Amino acid sequence: MVETAARELGVSPAELRRKNFIREFPYQTPVIMAYDAGDYETSLEAAMKEADYAGFEKRREKAKKQGKLRGIGMSCYIEACGIAPSAAVGSLGAGVGLWESAEVRVNAVGTIEVLTGSHSHGQGHETTFSQIVADRFGVPIDSVSIVHGDTDKVQMGMGTYGSRSGAVGMSAVVKALDKVEAKAKKIAAHLMEADEGDIVIENGELKVAGTDKSVPWFQLALAAYTAHNLPDGMEPGLKEGAFYDPTNFTFPAGCYICEVEVDPDTGETEIVQFVAADDFGNIINPMIVEGQVHGGIAQGIGQALLEGAHYDPASGQLLTASYMDYTMPRADDLPSFKVSTSNTPCPGNPLGIKGCGEAGAIGSPPAVINAITNAIGNNDLAMPATAQKVWSALKAATKH
Amino acid sequence: MYSTNYHRASSVADAVKLLKKADDGKFVSGGMTLIPAMKTRLAAPSDLVDLRHVPELKGVKISGKTVTIGAATTHAEVAANAKLASVCPAICNLAAHIGDPHVRHMGTIGGSVANNDPAADYPAALLALGATIVTNKREIAADKFFTGLFETALKDDEVITAVTFTAPAKCGYAKFPNPASRYAMTGVFVAKAKDGVRVAVTGAGEDGVFRSKEIEAALSKKFDASALEGVSVSAGTLMSDIHANAEYRANLVVVMAKRAVASANG
Ligand SMILES: Cc1cc2nc3c(=O)[nH]c(=O)nc-3n(C[C@H](O)[C@H](O)[C@H](O)COP(=O)(O)OP(=O)(O)OC[C@H]3O[C@@H](n4cnc5c(N)ncnc54)[C@H](O)[C@@H]3O)c2cc1C
Repeated sequence: MVETAARELGVSPAELRRKNFIREFPYQTPVIMAYDAGDYETSLEAAMKEADYAGFEKRREKAKKQGKLRGIGMSCYIEACGIAPSAAVGSLGAGVGLWESAEVRVNAVGTIEVLTGSHSHGQGHETTFSQIVADRFGVPIDSVSIVHGDTDKVQMGMGTYGSRSGAVGMSAVVKALDKVEAKAKKIAAHLMEADEGDIVIENGELKVAGTDKSVPWFQLALAAYTAHNLPDGMEPGLKEGAFYDPTNFTFPAGCYICEVEVDPDTGETEIVQFVAADDFGNIINPMIVEGQVHGGIAQGIGQALLEGAHYDPASGQLLTASYMDYTMPRADDLPSFKVSTSNTPCPGNPLGIKGCGEAGAIGSPPAVINAITNAIGNNDLAMPATAQKVWSALKAATKH
Repeated sequence: MYSTNYHRASSVADAVKLLKKADDGKFVSGGMTLIPAMKTRLAAPSDLVDLRHVPELKGVKISGKTVTIGAATTHAEVAANAKLASVCPAICNLAAHIGDPHVRHMGTIGGSVANNDPAADYPAALLALGATIVTNKREIAADKFFTGLFETALKDDEVITAVTFTAPAKCGYAKFPNPASRYAMTGVFVAKAKDGVRVAVTGAGEDGVFRSKEIEAALSKKFDASALEGVSVSAGTLMSDIHANAEYRANLVVVMAKRAVASANG
């Protein structure tokens, strides 16, 4: 819609978007959501620079000489992730609350098990959740294990979707870690006869700040379980649980730019450049975030160009029931992606995370379609933009 | 899939004998078409007689311009045969673009030809090359062999042993692959031989592979892509399915023909 408006007004699609960006936060939208923080211009600038937006016309000319129609399209997206405040979803009629749970168990030898309701089916929780635990106590990452998905072991939880594992699931872990840390500091203060407020955790040791007194983490864990010398009235052990119910959604945003070349003879589209500039707030693991974005873009390109479900109108039989007929995106349908992130921390949760799971699939389809419609000069194009549809749309455009 | 009895034939004669003994037997070669059909229970033969290990069905022979490809030769073997590439590179190129590597290493030319899928690549080549399909009983000209959708002149117990053709002066193949299966959504094979230009189209015809008279006529005047400017083919007998309608296929026939000629002319 924004792209069409820009084309009809004869203004640059980038400028029209820039003019309409929200710049003051928090920003209450008319439809429930209150945007907490964002910097949309930074993503736009980063994407335009990476895509050499200014140099596009030259590239278009060059492609034309080779008989190809080149087009550029962008999309600026904002999504509501980190779902969600339980009361808010309750008011919308949901039958559940969208909090998340965590339990942190420090074993007697100092190894740590984290039981999370956020399931990992390829998102890499085993890595990212371990990172925040290892960072907190300065212990080796391989002494942390993440337990998920086993309902015999894991307490009630709500799961992974809506880019919520980082923003909601990890926040529950952080809350449980806070409790573990507080108890560990109490025990350390007792053992070293110091003030609780003077205990700091560094490099796997609990130290009395400004002195050379320290207790290694594993010894502290053992002390918690031998319970020979604990503060008066303290329960033995070192294991805490927490529930986290978010106070707001989180709002990842970004700018995607796609450049395509259309073969006018066949309507075939080749994606020749793809740029994604996302603002995910704080990032725990850049490589995993990049992987999530790659996967999302591949899915989004699949939706934009390839994937269509067809039924036989007479019998209702699904005609695209196998991959011989249903086109999943494959490696050779995809270009190399240029991805980058900016990091406006999310004020709503302890780690400042917005979430990145769906962004790639949200930002990419409009960018791809905008690029094709720009190339062929016809805005009327439905997804998936198969070669035949593009060819027909191009024919319709040149008839006028 | 229903259960079935597997037999590995040691010779063509053995294969025929095994098939005759079976209740409702079928030859299997690469199994790339037959096995999926069995998995979905579209086919349920009582017995499978495997031809892929019969030595007399394997390999490519070239003498002068005469090419003979054994029925059990895989697409990958055709694609990689350097001697064949020196007399008829287009057929190697065609084989190299069938399906994916798994399919190319199992699927065979005999199976492809016997199956006569309306979107298969080889039928276009054999029809345009005026090839001969050799069986254990007779020799059949390609013009007579491909009789309709998944239909051929083969009898039930007839085994394709080889295909043979004379390499033409020039030939080329271009296909627009179905984005999902990579079969031809439209494929055109053009050949310029002593006796004239032959053009065969696959993936587009309602009745399977066919020769395009319009394109043959244009290319007979001048064997060059420019001869096809402004030429159009009728969508009337072309296929419409979820992947492409007849009008689009009619366009692809001309575009692929241009590309095939360009590749034939190198
Ligand atoms: C994912 C996928 C993609 C594909 N893409 C393409 C493509 O792009 N282009 C293309 O052309 N094909 C494609 N194919 C089909 C492939 O080429 C098959 O290999 C071919 O159609 C059948 O050959 P086969 O050796 O596997 O035969 P089989 O499946 O073993 O047999 C097929 C039929 O032929 C009969 N038969 C086999 N050999 C003989 C013989 N010597 N004499 C008599 N009858 C025989 C069998 O009884 C059976 O009825 C694809 C297949 C798959 C699964």
